[in-house]
Parts: sequence; structure tokens; C-alpha cells
Amino acid sequence: MATRKIVRRFVLPACLAAGALALLASPAAASVFGPRPAHSPNADDIRTAYWVAIIVGAVLIVAVHAFLIAALVRFRSRRGRSPQRFTAGARAFVRPAAPLVAIAVGLFVFAVVMTTRARDVEATGPEGLGADGDLVAQVNGLSIPSGSKVLNINVIGQRWLWRFEYPGGAPGNRVFSYGELTVPVDTTVLLHLASTDVTHRWFIPTLGGQVDALPGQDVSTWFRADEVGRYGGQSTAFSGTSYTTMRAWVHVVTPQQYESFIGAKREQLTKAQDYVAKKLEETTPSGAIP
Amino acid sequence: MTPAARARPELVTEAVPRRRQAWIERATSSDHKSVGMLYIGAALWFALAAVAALVVMRVQLIVPENTTTDPEIFDRTMSSFTVTGVVLFAIPLALGLFSYIAPLQVGARGVAFPRLNLLSFWLYVAGGFAIYGSFLWRPSEAGFATFPSLSEPLYSNTHGVDAWIVGTALAVLGFVCFAVNLVATLRTMRAPGMAWRRVPPFTWAANLGGYLLLVCGPVMLAALVMLFIDRHYGGVFFDPGYGGAPLLYEHLAWFFLTGAFAFVVIFAAGVISDVLPAFARKPLFSHGSTTACLLAIAILGPLAWMRNMYSAPIPTAFIVFAMLFAVALTIPIGLLIYNWIATLWGGTLRTRAAPLYAVAAISALTIGLVGDLAWSLIPVGWQIQDTAAAQGATIAVIVGASVLGGFSALHYWMPKITGRLVGDGLSKVALVAILVGLYVFALMSFFAGVKGQPVDVYKFYGEQGLDGYNLVASIAAFVMAGGIVVELGNLAYSYSRGVVTGHDPWGGSTLEWYASSPPPVHNFDVVPDVRSVEPLYDIRRAIRDRTQAWRPPAREPAPAPAEREPVGGETTGTR
Repeated sequence: MATRKIVRRFVLPACLAAGALALLASPAAASVFGPRPAHSPNADDIRTAYWVAIIVGAVLIVAVHAFLIAALVRFRSRRGRSPQRFTAGARAFVRPAAPLVAIAVGLFVFAVVMTTRARDVEATGPEGLGADGDLVAQVNGLSIPSGSKVLNINVIGQRWLWRFEYPGGAPGNRVFSYGELTVPVDTTVLLHLASTDVTHRWFIPTLGGQVDALPGQDVSTWFRADEVGRYGGQSTAFSGTSYTTMRAWVHVVTPQQYESFIGAKREQLTKAQDYVAKKLEETTPSGAIP
Repeated sequence: MTPAARARPELVTEAVPRRRQAWIERATSSDHKSVGMLYIGAALWFALAAVAALVVMRVQLIVPENTTTDPEIFDRTMSSFTVTGVVLFAIPLALGLFSYIAPLQVGARGVAFPRLNLLSFWLYVAGGFAIYGSFLWRPSEAGFATFPSLSEPLYSNTHGVDAWIVGTALAVLGFVCFAVNLVATLRTMRAPGMAWRRVPPFTWAANLGGYLLLVCGPVMLAALVMLFIDRHYGGVFFDPGYGGAPLLYEHLAWFFLTGAFAFVVIFAAGVISDVLPAFARKPLFSHGSTTACLLAIAILGPLAWMRNMYSAPIPTAFIVFAMLFAVALTIPIGLLIYNWIATLWGGTLRTRAAPLYAVAAISALTIGLVGDLAWSLIPVGWQIQDTAAAQGATIAVIVGASVLGGFSALHYWMPKITGRLVGDGLSKVALVAILVGLYVFALMSFFAGVKGQPVDVYKFYGEQGLDGYNLVASIAAFVMAGGIVVELGNLAYSYSRGVVTGHDPWGGSTLEWYASSPPPVHNFDVVPDVRSVEPLYDIRRAIRDRTQAWRPPAREPAPAPAEREPVGGETTGTR
């Protein structure tokens, strides 16, 4: 009798919880239930926070349902059974409140730590590009390790695509691209987000969290891609009819490939500008202001 | 027992007014019960509209790159879906039940401002008409809460957005009027002995919900008026080109929406705390702690509004503050669930539809609120806010609270409202459909969102690997929608053709069961003196004690025992 009670009270719920956790934590399940794999330190921190939250949440859900189902099964109305009328004061809530307070405090402290870690910009790694070192200690709430080299990219959202401006060159004559951002691997990339029309949101799930791109406000975020590849994402702030098509890709290449990409782009731009200038000269009469 | 207050004549008239047509009576009666029925009826119609919108959107998202629906049509559906689900369905359903039941539960013979109460309903319906009337021309395509800059005239130069703004503002203005009346009624018109510590949890929820609307409603009104001035009278509140800030509107709108979210949860908690004791036939485990938890949710809930804005450029200290409130909500919500399980424990639960819907609501709320808890952690929020994951968790809470909790309340109180029971068989089938559909839909949406599917997209792409999740989520949404429609039909049928029942079919212990079904205009001929949280239980116990103590009066002095002949083993009793 006593054994059955123990089994029913503790062993069964524990088995259920363990089974649910095993189901969640297995690698196969992780690919189904979890986010896409991280390729940047800040995305790593977000993944850690996600799994902790999901496991704590799963334990809470299983615990509540175990007791709810037990109450439903055991205490249904039957012939000859009368209810036990009991009530309790506030003191009866100390015991159940203790684990809840522990969970809340634990999650809060943990999330504050992970938030700071994800916000702290990490320095460019050994394989990264040693380029463009703007020595700034802080940009829009991001603290940057002193003396580190970062690649500053302007990201401008407009309906319904992204424009990327690469460092180097005069302000009006910078290399730019649309839709796809090409960056070197293992290099800290600082994104300066802005919008020319409505609110957009920068979100590449494998390279960090969501950040608003607002009109009239500078917002910054960062990532450091750890692997060569092409990572996709799309805006999550509704921006009108073709909002769904507002996708973005980050093409991570080696530093050498990046240098040659910038060189080729600059050449293309010069060619195009020369062509436009020539065309203008041909079509406008000499002496007239174009 | 039960010293009773004598009825006071509430109406003084020199002539009996001529009876008008029934619909005019219904539309113009300021009786709080009539207004409550109007609210419930309108809210259930808008529930149908919200279900239809969900079906349209899930049909479009069933396969990748679907072309069934135009992006414009999808955006129109999406822009009216949230406002229909929350502002036109969830809140008014709660208000209807509050208007009908709360004055009865505190033994009031009416409400403080009956005409304001009626006005609030017509403001709300006018708002609904404005939003749905725009479907005749061109409704809003500016997103679920018309965030600027998208809703500025430069990007949304249609009258649909104006209709959305005016409609939502009218409805919210109605809710504020309603809340004024509700709070005043509950403060001033409680029966003798009905101290706050004896007010039933559902009426406590009504009281706190009233205060929530009083605090959060005007904030939304301010935001909508500012947006309207921006659109039509050259305002620059939200125009960054002139030093305005779109972020300001986001703060105001999220404050209201988060408050509405807390309102809906408090409503469901009130319903569950009233239904479970009645059907488990034992008192609520802890009345005082329940009200304390509801109060904590009402305070912490709206204060956590910035938890929806983790991606915005807000200083970290502020969003940490929001996270603190959001995570702290775990404690009162967890204690409420503990309280409900302890109420079921040791009871004898009659498995009618009302308590089953209530238990299902606990389950759905648990799942949805755990999803919200995960999303409240800032790093997780950066990953899943404004994705299908956040939508899945939100829909689980809204459906759990307003659909499951609301149906539980209707099953419980419809016999009071109409004098007829709601059929049980069909509603149990509907319950299974709603519950299974909701679980699968919420989980599949959650996992799709975690993979990166944004909310409000009209299509997704084949190479994103989201096909399976969306297919299953769509099918589950159809099952859930079917369940809701079946249950709405069941309610409509039972409203006029249900089994006629007495004034207290469940053996309830709160004052509304003391009135007849449906109650007369003045609610009570006499109001019992309230001595505990369960006034009707006190009456029943007093009657039982008297009955048991009663003996037939002796006709003649009983014969002495010695004179009595012993009869072989047989005894004769007096009773």
C-alpha cells in the first residue's frame, strides 16, 4: 500500500518529467524544437537562455498537469462520497511559494547575466580581418572592448529591402549592396541600423536577436560569424504589403574574399559612375547645369 | 436564521408604461442584466468573426508560397484579427458577465450608473461597426495595432486606418465608461455584511478588471487621439522628421494591450475560482490568497508592458525592470494554480461541462503563460518576440482565458440568465476539439517561430524548412475553429430550447443563486444578511440543522421505560 502510494505520488510524476525532458533535450529533438544553430557568440548566449527557459517551463507544465490530472481522477463525484470541506489561510502558501520564488529569482538573475553577455561586444578573432579599427568605447549601449578592431557597416532599412554600406571611401561614395551583406569570418561586425521610412527589424536568427531599425534614430547591434556560409533572416516588424519579401542574407567569407569583393564592388561602382557621367555629358548641352 | 433586509420600492410611477416591442426594450433597457446580455451576445458574434479571420489566415499559410489570398486581403484580415479577438471579443465577453453577475453576487438591486452602463455597450458596438463597416470600402492594412510610422498618412493614406482608429477608440471609451459604473457599483452598493473579504472571487476579478480598464483604457485613447491628430490635423507626435517618436505610440499601445492581457487572465481566474468550488462541492481553498494573487496580477501585469519591446532602443535598465515584473508574475499565477488544484483536492467533482471547461482553461493558461514566461527573459525575447512563437503563446492564453474560461462561465451562469441549462454532450465534444486544436496549433506555431518565422507574414518560403509546422498548425487551427463554432451553436440552441431548470441548479453558494432565474428587474425581493463568503451555504446549513434537530411534538407524556414490554430485538423510532 505504502509502496503503491509512493509510486503514484512521486515515482510516476518524476518518470513523466524525466521522459519529457529527455524528449526535449535529445539532439534529434533539438533540431525540431530548438532554434537554428548559432554562428555568433551573442546568438550562443541566446540559445543558452532559450534552453534554460524551455526546460524550466517544461518542468512547470508537467508538474501542474500531473497534479491536475491526479485531482481529476481521484476526486470525481461518486456514490457515497462526500467532500472534505477545508480552507486555509495565507500560511498554507509559504511552502508552494518558496519554489516559485526560487524559480522567478533564478530566471531573473540568469537572464540579466545572459543579457549583459549578449550585449557585450567581443573582440575580433585571430582569423578575422584586421581592418578599419574605429576605437570607440561605447556605441548606443553596446560596450566594445578597448582597442579592438571592428567592421562598421551601415544597415538601412527601406520598404522592402535592406541597403548595406561598407566602410572606406568618402561618405557619399561608399561601397554598398542590397539584400545581401558580405562580411569576413571571425570579425566583429558592428551594425548601425537606420530606416528611411517605417520601422523595420534586423533579425538573422543564427547571428543574434532582433533589433529595431527606426526612422530618425541610430540603433546598433553586433555579431561575429564563426563559420563561412550564408545565413538568412527576415524583418519581423510589419511594414506594409510586401513585408514578407523583406528578407536579408549575410554572406560570410574569408578576409581575402572580402577584400576582393570590396575591390570588385568599388570597380563596378566607379565604372557605373563613369558611365552615368558620360551619358549625362552626352545628353546635356554643354554649359547647361545638369 | 437569515435576518433579511426588507425590499424597498425602487420604482415609483404614476402609470404603467406602455410595453414597447421586444427589441426596443432590449436595446434601450438600462437594466444591468439586459446590458450584460447585449454584451455577451455581441461578443460571441465577434468571436465568430475572429474565428473566420483565423481560418482565412491559416488557409493562406497552409503550404509554402501559397497564392490563395492576396497580400492586401491577408493584411486586412490580420489588421482586424487582433482587435476583434481582444477588443471586440475577449474584453466585452468578460464585461457582459461582469455586468450581469457581479451586482447579483454582491446582493445589489441595480447598478450605480445604469445609463452609463448602457451607453458603454452602444459605444463598443459603434466601434465594432466602424471597424467592420470599413470592409465595405477598404479596411486598415496597417498591422495589428497600427503602429506609426506605417500608420502615418504618407504610408497608409486610406480611410480604413481612420475607421480602425475611431472604432478602437469608441470601444475603449465604452470600456472606460463601463469601468466607472462597475467600480462605483461594487464600492457603494454591496449588500449588508458583504465586506470586501466576503466578495466572491469573480466579483473581485470584476472589480480589479474595472480598475485595470480605468488605468489602461485612457492611455490607449490618448495614443489613438494623438495618431488621429497626426493623420488629419498636422500633428507630429509620431513623426521623427519633426522630433516626434514612433516609439512613443508603441509604449502607449503596449501598455493598453498588456493591461488587456492581464484583464483577460484575471477574468478567467475569477471564473475558475467560482466554478471549481461549486462543482467540487467544497469551498475555495483560500479566498484571501486568491484575491491577493489577482491583485498582484493586476498590478504587475500592465507594469511589464516593455516586455513586448525588447528589440527597441530602450536603455537596458528599463527592459530589465519590465522583465522583473514579468518574471515576478510567476509567483501569483503559480499560487493561483496551486489554489485551484487544492480546491479540487478532497472534493467530489461533478464532471459537467462547466468545470471541465474550467480545468481545460487552467491547462491552456499554464501552457500559454509558460511560453510567455520564456519570452519574458530578454535574450529569449530577442529570439522569439514578434515571431509565430510569441503568437502561439498569446493565442493559447487568450483562447484559454476567454474561450475556454468564457464557455465555462456561460455553462455555469446561463441557467441564471435564461432559466435553461446549456446542453452538455455536444459541448464536451467541442471541448475536446478546441483543446486538442489549441495545443497542437500553439506548439507548432511556437516551434515555427523559434525557427524564425515572423508573425503577420502572408507567406513563407519553401527553403525555410517550415512546411511541416505550418501544415499541422493550420489543420489544428481548423479543428479548434470547428470546436468553437460547434460550441457557439450549442449555446445559441440552448438559449431558447435548453432544458428548463430551477433557480439554483448547481447548489451554488454565492448570492446570485438566491435570485430567481432569470432574476426580476430589482434582482432580490429580500437580501439575506451576509455572514461569510458562502451565504447560501450558510442558509442551507441552517435549514439542515433545523430539520435534523426537529422532533414531532409529543402528544402525551412518554411512558416510563420500565412499563414498556421488551419486544424481541425490535425497536421503534420516533422518526
